[in-house]
Amino acid sequence: MKGAWRVIKRALPYLVMYGIAFLWVIPVLWMADTAFKPRSEIFTIPPTWILSHFTLFNIKRLFTQWPFLRWLLNSLIVATSVTLGSLIVSTPAAFSFSRLRWRGRDALFMILLVFMLLPWQINVIPLFFTMNKFRFLNTYQGVALPMIAMPIGVFLLRQFFINIPKELEDAARIDGCSSFGVLTRVIIPISKPVFAAFGVYMFNFAWNEFFWSMICLQKKTMATMPVGLSMLQGAHEIDYGLILAGAFMASLPSLVIFFFLRRQIIRGFTLAGSGSKG
Amino acid sequence: MGRRIGEFLYRHHGLEGVLYALPFVSLWAVFLAWPVGYGIYISLFKWNPMLGSKFVGLANYAELFHSLRFWNAVANTFKFAGMTIPLIIGVGFVFALMVWGWGRTHRGAGIIQSVLFFPYLLTVSIVAIVWKWLFDRDFGLVQQGINAIFPSAPMLLNSTVWALPVIAIATAWWLSGYRMVVLQAGLEEIPRDLFEAAAIDGAKGHHQFFHIILPLIKPSLLFALVLTIISAFRTFGQVLMMTEGGPGRSTEVLALYMYWVGFDYFDVGKAAAAGVVLLFMILALTLAGVKLLGLRSELQ
Repeated sequence: MKGAWRVIKRALPYLVMYGIAFLWVIPVLWMADTAFKPRSEIFTIPPTWILSHFTLFNIKRLFTQWPFLRWLLNSLIVATSVTLGSLIVSTPAAFSFSRLRWRGRDALFMILLVFMLLPWQINVIPLFFTMNKFRFLNTYQGVALPMIAMPIGVFLLRQFFINIPKELEDAARIDGCSSFGVLTRVIIPISKPVFAAFGVYMFNFAWNEFFWSMICLQKKTMATMPVGLSMLQGAHEIDYGLILAGAFMASLPSLVIFFFLRRQIIRGFTLAGSGSKG
Repeated sequence: MGRRIGEFLYRHHGLEGVLYALPFVSLWAVFLAWPVGYGIYISLFKWNPMLGSKFVGLANYAELFHSLRFWNAVANTFKFAGMTIPLIIGVGFVFALMVWGWGRTHRGAGIIQSVLFFPYLLTVSIVAIVWKWLFDRDFGLVQQGINAIFPSAPMLLNSTVWALPVIAIATAWWLSGYRMVVLQAGLEEIPRDLFEAAAIDGAKGHHQFFHIILPLIKPSLLFALVLTIISAFRTFGQVLMMTEGGPGRSTEVLALYMYWVGFDYFDVGKAAAAGVVLLFMILALTLAGVKLLGLRSELQ
């Protein structure tokens, strides 16, 4: 009796953990399952779990009827340029806010902090008219530009730069480094982990951004993946095979990358999270 | 030459600092700060870029505050926030405690953490598509399961009462993983000897939770809370793609209302006014959240 109790007590954490994890993957499994089922199997009661009638019918339709690869390419272009762009502008700004003194610096930083609390997507209406003036609607730059200068980037990098010992900077200055030298030879080389973390954060953010993207990109061939999927859903109200095939194929890149880099990705988000709570 | 410019800039520190911040600040000013002001400006007009706009002062706001549909959207937004914020933080915290507490002694916690985190990497469109399908009125997996247990259960996503909670659950599935990771990082920072000392003093599990874990995890909790408040109040994609605000208008939240008014009815001034209201509401609430939790943790 006592032995049985001990076994249960031993097994309980595993049961709880794996039980919850199983619950958590059901939506993803169900999505994959539906994507590869023929129409006749999708609409059945009770639902069938096992791929008894495996078919690529839905996937084929997705690639022939919709510019799916183009969406993938668009997403890649937007997410990459947002990530690189934000690293390029946020790094010197964070350097300036943490290591250089100038009038109005702290006041401006406070304003940036407040803007961190304002979700910029709520500005879609003025943003739409602003971009319309620039003739940037339905362009990569139109969708990417508002995502580049995120205050959180400056905040995160500044937090890291501030903790770099002043002695390192002083030593470089004595050796004749200008501020640019300090930035490129001292700060940037030892900040690689935080750049990686911020890069992961920004790439994911831009890859998944929906509200502004769907307002800005209304042409079918310009859509990024999230916008394309909503077009797909809008056009085929109940064709769940096709819609779920789209959702599954769209989640595949994240799934594959996460499978290989899960430690690095989670560490990146941890760093981004614990850095910005400061 | 380059060296001399460097020296000049170093002596005139101010100029140099501004120069380094300039690319970021100008982009930010044009595409993030300016639209806020421009939005306030638009909200004072009957906006019509084709035929000319007419200044109407606060008439758009007055119209909003007299609109039942607006107040319905406000109520739905608060209802949704009231459901998702505790759900997301609660689930995230429980997951964090689980992975942190059992992580060292039990195998597979790393994989479990990855599984629980993964949905956060999906775009809202995928989340909405999958969960709409799970709750499909005729063939949804979860809906069928519920019907099997409760034959008289309503079609949840087509019910004015249940549609919003279903969207809240889908949102929790999507976003809890990131909160887990943030809170877990906070837990890892607590020195382990604190628990050993407490155990020697005879402190029970719940004592340790309330007197060690909670006070020390406050900064992480605060960050997760602010993050979640913001995302709850700006919710848009899930609702648009799962219910389009229906059935009736029972899931029409403010961001969606703003979208319909602006891009469906082309009442741009009024939509901008709704945006301004939403923006300041979020700001007030997050600041209140920061004050409430932040100040208290400093007093201790």
